Amino acid sequence: MSTAAVAARRALQQQRTRVLYRKALRNVLSWAVHRDIFYVEAQKMREQFEMNKDLSNLETIDRLLYEGESRVEKFQHPDPYIVPWAPGGSKYARNPPVPSEVITVVGFEF
Amino acid sequence: MQAVRSSLWAVHGSVLQHMRVRAVVAPSTTGLWGNGNARTMSGEAHGTYLDRRDVIDRVLAVVKSNQKVDASKVSETASFKDMGLDSLDEVEVVMALEEEFALEIPDAEADKIRSASDAIDFIASHPSAK
Repeated sequence: MSTAAVAARRALQQQRTRVLYRKALRNVLSWAVHRDIFYVEAQKMREQFEMNKDLSNLETIDRLLYEGESRVEKFQHPDPYIVPWAPGGSKYARNPPVPSEVITVVGFEF
Repeated sequence: MQAVRSSLWAVHGSVLQHMRVRAVVAPSTTGLWGNGNARTMSGEAHGTYLDRRDVIDRVLAVVKSNQKVDASKVSETASFKDMGLDSLDEVEVVMALEEEFALEIPDAEADKIRSASDAIDFIASHPSAK
């Protein structure tokens, strides 16, 4: 394989690792609500990633990434914490702006 | 009794005739609320952006509080890698920034934040950053 193709594949793998770590960490944040428990569990998650830090075989890395992604999928929180105003949060679209077609008339009398 | 009541009513009428409150004309005489007033009823219609100086200060404070970072190398223009952070550390820093500003950054956008200036630009242009 040419070095450019190898470098491109490595870069893609690094991006997949970052996205996987982010998803895993957000999962841990949803599951472990108390902060002290969260720090302990996040450290454990980090160590699992650090164990495989120095691999160079592309196939092994791809396989590990696939396993990691399926594990994150399996332990996905059913009701993850989303910031209230974001889509999926509790405050999303709570007070939508009044559409411009609606006009309020003051002093309306029957 | 009847005479007292009618004379009281006469006094009532004359008092009211002489005590008149000047009527104040309302600013909008048409009586219709236009689009401007109606749209400002809910705050989420237009975003509330943070000051850039505040954003810079808070972002640098969050980055400095990370234990793995080299405090002398933290600046607005440095990338996270220059500050001594791993790629996994960068993910942690982005998550800490999300918690600081109460943001929800999609995964694709979060992957693009690789330096302090990226983070500052993103947060300063986000309408719902707190």
